Amino acid sequence: MPKPIGPARRIKPYQVIQAVLGAGFAGYLLWRLYQVFIAAPEYGADTWARFLITGAILGGVYALIAIGYTLVYGILRMINFAHGDIMMLGAFGGYFVLETTRSIPIGSSNFSDAYPVWSVLAAFLAGVAVATVSGYFLERIAYRPLRGAPRLVPLISAIGASIFLENAAQLLFGAQRRDYANPAVLTRGEGWTLAIGGTDVILPYTGVLTFVLSILLMLALYALVMRTRLGRSMRAVAENKQVAALMGIDVDGVISRTFIISGALAGAAGVMWGLHLGLVYHFVGFIPGIKAFTAAVLGGIGSVPGAMLGGLFLGLVESLGPAVLGINFQLKDVIAFGILVLVLIFRPTGIVGEVLTEEKV
Amino acid sequence: MKRLTYILLAATLAALLLAACAPAGEGKVSGVPEECKADGSCAVIKPGQTIKIGMGAPMTGDNAAFGQDISQAAKIAVQDAGEFNGFVFELIAEDDGGTPEGGAAVANKLVADPTVVAIAGHIFSGATLSAMPIYEAANIPMMSPSATVPDLTKKGSPVFNRCVFTDAAQGKFAAEYLYNTLKITKLAIVHDGQAYGQGLATVVQDIFTSLGGTVVSFNAVTPGESDYSAVLADIASKKPQALYFGGYTSEGVVIVNQMKQSGLEGVIFFGDDGTFGQDFLDRTGANGEGAYSTSLIPPASDARTAFDAAYLENYGQPAGKLSPYSWTAYDSAAVLIKVIKDVALYSSDGNLYIPRAELVAAVRAVKDYQGLSGTITCDEIGECSASGPVFNVVKDGKWVEAPK
Repeated sequence: MPKPIGPARRIKPYQVIQAVLGAGFAGYLLWRLYQVFIAAPEYGADTWARFLITGAILGGVYALIAIGYTLVYGILRMINFAHGDIMMLGAFGGYFVLETTRSIPIGSSNFSDAYPVWSVLAAFLAGVAVATVSGYFLERIAYRPLRGAPRLVPLISAIGASIFLENAAQLLFGAQRRDYANPAVLTRGEGWTLAIGGTDVILPYTGVLTFVLSILLMLALYALVMRTRLGRSMRAVAENKQVAALMGIDVDGVISRTFIISGALAGAAGVMWGLHLGLVYHFVGFIPGIKAFTAAVLGGIGSVPGAMLGGLFLGLVESLGPAVLGINFQLKDVIAFGILVLVLIFRPTGIVGEVLTEEKV
Repeated sequence: MKRLTYILLAATLAALLLAACAPAGEGKVSGVPEECKADGSCAVIKPGQTIKIGMGAPMTGDNAAFGQDISQAAKIAVQDAGEFNGFVFELIAEDDGGTPEGGAAVANKLVADPTVVAIAGHIFSGATLSAMPIYEAANIPMMSPSATVPDLTKKGSPVFNRCVFTDAAQGKFAAEYLYNTLKITKLAIVHDGQAYGQGLATVVQDIFTSLGGTVVSFNAVTPGESDYSAVLADIASKKPQALYFGGYTSEGVVIVNQMKQSGLEGVIFFGDDGTFGQDFLDRTGANGEGAYSTSLIPPASDARTAFDAAYLENYGQPAGKLSPYSWTAYDSAAVLIKVIKDVALYSSDGNLYIPRAELVAAVRAVKDYQGLSGTITCDEIGECSASGPVFNVVKDGKWVEAPK
């Protein structure tokens, strides 16, 4: 991109405001860091370790859901607000499989406890299958008929689809909150015990599973987008639908597959959510959906590595932010969204979204 | 229901017969009593009429279960009251929908009936508030079994009383229990940021501090989320002995399930009456063992056993299933009936005279009445639940009454 030629660059007023704001926040943050780590340490190493563990696990799930937003945005330039609800459906899929395996008796035990690997695998497969199918039909029913309509129209359709899915799930499964029946070896809250600062800190099995699996899935997705033929056509459609179609790419097919992939990731995230946090009900996808959307914007919407970074960052900020700033944990969302505002002020395209977005614009 | 009608009918007939047979001159007073000379100063119950106790309750709509339960429980109190000088009591439960406008409408309807002498209600606080001035003008005392908004007794109304503990009373008793009985000195408090939970948490904080304890952490969680481990880790770093939670089961369960992994193993969880119930047990399992909670279910007593049996027999389901107010509902009607009996004058002309102003004063002056829900003693503003709530603890997967 050529540099603009002209008179020497003048500093614009908004840049001054940006600089002052930025310096202010950076200074405050440094001062708080000095306070909590050196001047008057409020927390021991064990507490920081717990914050980190919580944040990283949550961040992993956020990242996985955020990728679904980002993939769809990259290709269709629309926010799929029903994505969190696809995750909820996936969580229900896994829930019913685990309930079933638990009810099959094997000797004095049951299938779920006797073959935990197979049960969890089956739960993941069911969750992913349910979410994939829902993702596919969501696109066919709610978005495809609106292809070519102004950008607000599919957005409204997405919000409608979200409300529809939540209420359909409530009618189908009832409004009560259900608890995931984990296999015995994956009991929630159990885990490896680490002695940090003289105190036992539990590293939960379900958390490690969630984190490792989400990283693996993200790497697999990155390889898919970057290395395969489908990935190349997805990138081509993202660049320019018309030209991609002229090059012989089946645009509708690629969009369908994008929704299938994003649905599959949401389904996996749903089952992980259930295994680790144990709660599933018709509204369970709403908050993670909003958070993941924030993460996607934070990282730079449209960029897959951006969604990963944004998700992990958001998870960590939520658990570490109130502690570092020394404020009530009720305000963790304020911090998360405050950072979103700051990022949008200083880097409107997100943390890593710049290059990609400029190319598309 | 049919059976009840028959019982009432039979009782009424018996009352008629007795009234007819009662020889003149056996009453407490002869002729029209002195205090009833002024027009409208007394309710006059003629032979054949019943002594009516009114009630405004939601009998239809979303909250119909409350009205149904409370009126059913109060009817048992009316049955138990039996016959009084040949007169019987009757409960008139009118549907106020639980709304302010419904409350005023029902109150106007009830005061129009000269044989309505007292009100066991209303049920919802909003309806109660709009009904209060109407009963005040008519000199009819109220005893609500379930209107818990703290402000109601601060309106200066001489007629309004309640035999249910308020959120403020619950918080006070909980803080005292934590400090005095459980010997907790370092308490962490968490609430859900909503009116009910935050209100309770604030009361507990104030009382606990004034007793001499230390509140090491006062924090809030966002309702509806399923991961509170960060805030719990923060609390764990403050090393509390117990954690008081103001809020409902949904969030309470998540907290209890994540306490161990957040470093709060062995810390006592103490919940409010919003966390009490079977759902809490089902969803916390082994994690819930040793958790405390608060409930309206009264301590075991012979009177309660008899009431529970009567309720089950009459209505086919256990007391406390439709609403948690079955027992206070019985108490509210029973205590009113007792006071009416004390105040009423049976005259030689066969009529029962109930001086209204005296009745209002007598209800406010109730002292040491042993109800199902505990001792009922009204203070000067009409708070009559003197025993406070019952605390429960999870033992072997069941709620049991916690030692006093």
